[in-house]
Amino acid sequence: MADFQYPALYSFPPFFTRQPNATTWSTQQSAWSALILAYCERHRLFKFSVGHELFTNTELSRRLPTPAAIEVMEAMVKQGKAEWIGPEKQEILVYWKTPRDWANAVYDWIDTTGQKGGVLTLYEIAWGQLTASTEFHGLDETVLRRALDVLVERGVAKIFGSGDELGVKFF
Amino acid sequence: MGNALSNTNKVTSQDRAILNLKLQRDKLHQYQRRISTVLAAETAAAKSLLSKGDKPRALLALRRRKFQENLLAQTDAQLATLEQLVSGIEFALVEKDVYFGLKQGSEVLKQINREMSLESVERLMEESQEGIRYQREVSEMLGNVMSNEMEDEVEEEMERLEREIRGEVAVGDLPEVPTEIRETEEEKARKAKERARARAKAREEERQREEEGLVAA
Repeated sequence: MADFQYPALYSFPPFFTRQPNATTWSTQQSAWSALILAYCERHRLFKFSVGHELFTNTELSRRLPTPAAIEVMEAMVKQGKAEWIGPEKQEILVYWKTPRDWANAVYDWIDTTGQKGGVLTLYEIAWGQLTASTEFHGLDETVLRRALDVLVERGVAKIFGSGDELGVKFF
Repeated sequence: MGNALSNTNKVTSQDRAILNLKLQRDKLHQYQRRISTVLAAETAAAKSLLSKGDKPRALLALRRRKFQENLLAQTDAQLATLEQLVSGIEFALVEKDVYFGLKQGSEVLKQINREMSLESVERLMEESQEGIRYQREVSEMLGNVMSNEMEDEVEEEMERLEREIRGEVAVGDLPEVPTEIRETEEEKARKAKERARARAKAREEERQREEEGLVAA
């Protein structure tokens, strides 16, 4: 896929087996976590599922078993680098940038473009022509909601509307 | 924005109206994206049908494409209308803010002018003149702590000293005492009167000057 630089560890067969030693497993988990974050950032992925091809190395014919993959993802959730989508724990929202980072990016943009006091739709923020050159263009809807929630908590934004038809007013 | 000032952190009905318009616009945007994909698909279909020699169906696909293109143009026009409306509302809000600011400014100006009516300015000038007069009286009173007699004594002493310096009071050359004293007493009374008059005159002049200065100011 594209020109993603896999770490050397990715070509190391034991990397795809859950190591029994607790310390080793912990290191292995961090390595997986870093790999997933880097991979998702490179490909601008916001959702990552247990069955993702990253867990399979076709060259080595190795695959990280699903329970181990879930453990890795669980660890990421615990560190605040991801969030489970739904209670089935099959897919995560990957925070290679935290909702707080996204919130800052959005608010900076609002501020520098003089849109304080204005009303924007969520779609407009993620897909509008005005945001085409910003880093949050194409941002996942759920991640955007999380980011806006951060701003609402800070008291600089208010989300209103009903159902899927939401808008946000910035202050 | 005045608008933001007056309803901080509140979502107004205008905001809802803008949101509804923008949501409509977003829907049109999404619709356009969908049509664009259909357009590309129809073109591909027409191409593959043509290469198979199925001309009538290729023509049909092209017709469908034309129809979709037409739709796309229509949505473009609708989008423009919507965008115009949104901009119009936003501009009207800005205008409202400007009006609000102007109104506030003119009210403040009116209030300031009310506080500075001509009569009150006149009264103020009178009052300050009175204050100055009072101040002068006070300083005169303070300046008159020395009575005329005391002033006389000071000036007498001055005369004596002057005579001494001129060497008029040499030993053995004293003038006849009785006449001297009588003369001196008469002199003294006369001189005292003169000096008192001179001082009064000087004060009067000074007051006049001050008054003139005040009027000029």
